[in-house]
Order: sequence, then structure tokens, then C-alpha cells
Amino acid sequence: MQMNFSSDKSIYVQISEMIENQILRDILLEEERVLSTNEFARMYSINPATAAKGINMLVDSGVLYKKRGIGMFVAIGAKEKIMKRRKSEFYDNYIKKILEEAESLGITREELVEMIVEQKGGKDHE
Amino acid sequence: MSNLILRAEKIGKNYKDKEVLKELDLVLEPGKIYGLVGRNGAGKTTLLSILSAQARASAGGVYLGDDPVWENQQALNHICFSRELGMAGTGANAAIMGLEAKDYLKLAALFRPNWDQKMAERLVKEFRLDVKQRLNKMSKGMLSMLTIIVAMASQAEYTFLDEPVSGLDVVAREQFYKLLLEEYTRTGRTFVVSTHIIEEAADVLEEVIVLKDGKIILKENTCSLLQRAFYISGKKEEVEQAVQGLRIYHKETFGRSSSVVVLLEPGQKIGNRGNLDIQPVNLQKVFLALCGKEDSDE
Repeated sequence: MQMNFSSDKSIYVQISEMIENQILRDILLEEERVLSTNEFARMYSINPATAAKGINMLVDSGVLYKKRGIGMFVAIGAKEKIMKRRKSEFYDNYIKKILEEAESLGITREELVEMIVEQKGGKDHE
Repeated sequence: MSNLILRAEKIGKNYKDKEVLKELDLVLEPGKIYGLVGRNGAGKTTLLSILSAQARASAGGVYLGDDPVWENQQALNHICFSRELGMAGTGANAAIMGLEAKDYLKLAALFRPNWDQKMAERLVKEFRLDVKQRLNKMSKGMLSMLTIIVAMASQAEYTFLDEPVSGLDVVAREQFYKLLLEEYTRTGRTFVVSTHIIEEAADVLEEVIVLKDGKIILKENTCSLLQRAFYISGKKEEVEQAVQGLRIYHKETFGRSSSVVVLLEPGQKIGNRGNLDIQPVNLQKVFLALCGKEDSDE
């Protein structure tokens, strides 16, 4: 399998985001085993140390937990935990950028709200 | 596995009056995949030859643990340098190129005490290599495959590959990186891979070693290197202000705009970010910044 890693972020961050996304979308369920560091490395052709870094980030944040000698598992409540954190980051990660770009294009707040409510582009595109 | 460190101490190498390596120090730790990068003629092949005692250093020494590797068969059993084949040559080199692939593999097996014959046979099949063909009739890609097979089957604790992917097509290159990671995760052997196709290998390399003009100018964990590398662009004055006090690597100016690559040292940060565009940099661009032409530096 090939993962389309981008160069905008560290690979290990992308690995942890990928696991999180799989948990959010119920591809990985709570109490299920996730791939080991070495399995990740082989599957996505990345160095195991990088994969370990990404997985350890999730262990630190309580999304994954280690069962000694068996492997890494999705913690109970992991999905909720991820959603909560991502919601708190939503403004910084998404809204802020939209507002900045809108401002430099002269799109007013009202137009922006209208776009979101109507789910369509600005007047130029209609 | 002996778990010994391989260490080069102040090695120098002269070919006639040309100084190829200069007082070079290097420590390779067991259980890592290293990438060795540098421009043509930087001394990569010479360095790998000396580390594996295939060439003698003009100065300094190479040690596995505490023992020098030169003329030390015990130590050399742990080190395999699978050379690039097909370089123009006479004498021994020409004789080797006249061999059939299967005889070349037999020869390699003779020299490698831990040779894994099963693995060699499996890889010959995987790469669909015709072992009845003579080396001098093989394409560059097929010769690359042969050197990869020797490196892998050698089962040496320290295995060096010189431009293993240079002749391979995209599919075979992918196959190589997969194989490398499989073998690495299975055995924990140390690999040093030299390559010009930097970006492709970046994710596989735990550490990257940059060789320039016979010296190692950087040896660092790939992730941490990329985390401190930034491309900054914007209005000339603002860029200049933001990077004050930082080491600037690749500066380009065009009209009112300017762009630089910086590598932040611990404790450093980019100044006033204002309207600047700050982006991460990939390994190839870091390499370009370090080894590209220093036209407008400083």
C-alpha cells in the first residue's frame, strides 16, 4: 500500500493523523489492535523509528495503549477524545485561515456566512 | 549480531595529488538505516570503500568496536560493501564483468561467511533476473539488482549499498525500499545507502549523512533535520529582518521579493513572521541548500 505523504508535515505527524482518522471513521474500533511499528514501516515504506514516533504520540495522548508483549490497541473513549481535541483546534486550523484569506480578498463576514449557509461559492462563480 | 559501533577516525584519502577525503570522522551505530548523500565526486564511494577495507585510507583508521578493520577478517565478516557494478575497468574488474550472474553470486557467497543462499535465490526470482547472462551483457538496472541481492544475502551486520537504485525503474525502486525495510525490521542490521534520488529515500532513512568536498558537513536524524528547516519568502526587507542572526543557506532575490532557506539551531527562531510565507522544506531541498551553488550566500 502506498500512503500519499505530503511534505507539509512530518511523516510521523501524518502517521498519527492517519490512525486518528481511521478511528474517527470507525475503520479502527476501540479495543482493536493497530499495526505494529514494523508493520507500519513495511506497509508504508517508512523507517520504523518514524512510525514509532507517530504511534507514541498517540500513546502519550491516551488514544492508543500498549498491551505488553501483544501490541498496541485503541483505547476506550479514543474516538471521543480525538473529536474533542480536534474541535478545540478547529478554529485555529481552519476558521482562522478562511478569515485571513477572505479578508485579503475583500469578502465580507456576511458573504462568508452566506456561503456557509448556502454552501456555494462567491457571486463571481454563480 | 555483535552490536559494535563502526567508527572512522580522521580518515584521509589522496588519489595522486587529489585529496578526496579530509580528516573525516564518522560513527555508525548498529541498528539504523543511514542515507549517504553528496554530489558527484564528493567522496561517497571512497568513504564506503575505506569503511569496508576495500581501499586503504591514506591517513586515520576505521574500527569495529576497538579493533581496526584493515586486514582483519573477523571484523570484515560483519561488513559488506556491495559495489556498483559495470564501472568501466580493466584487469580484475573486466574479469568480473565477464562472469555469468550465477557465478558472480557464487563468488560473492564464498567471501561472505553468513551468506543466505535461500534469500539470494528468492530475490533472483523476485527481480526476475536471468542468472545465465554475463554481467557485461546486463542492463544497468539488472546490475543494480545483482548488487542488491549480494548486499541482502550477505547478512552482514553493516551493509553498504552504493547507488542501489540508480538503474532501477520506479517499480523496482519501490521493491527495493520494501525489501530494505523488511530485511531491516527482521534483522536490525545497519544499512548505509548512498543515493542521488533523495526525496524518494527520505522516509526510509533514519539518519542522513551529507558529504561535501571530502568532509561530513551534516549527520542528523532525518525527522529532526526536517523539523528545523524552513523556506521563508516575502518582501525583501521583511525576510531580511526575520532571518537576522540565522544561518542562511539558499538566498534568492527577485525584484522586491526574496526567499531563503534556514536551518534553525537550538534556541533560535524566525523573527517577525508578519506577512511572510514560511514553509517546511523537504530533504532534497535541504540538500540543495547545503550543497548547491553558493552564489548569493551572505
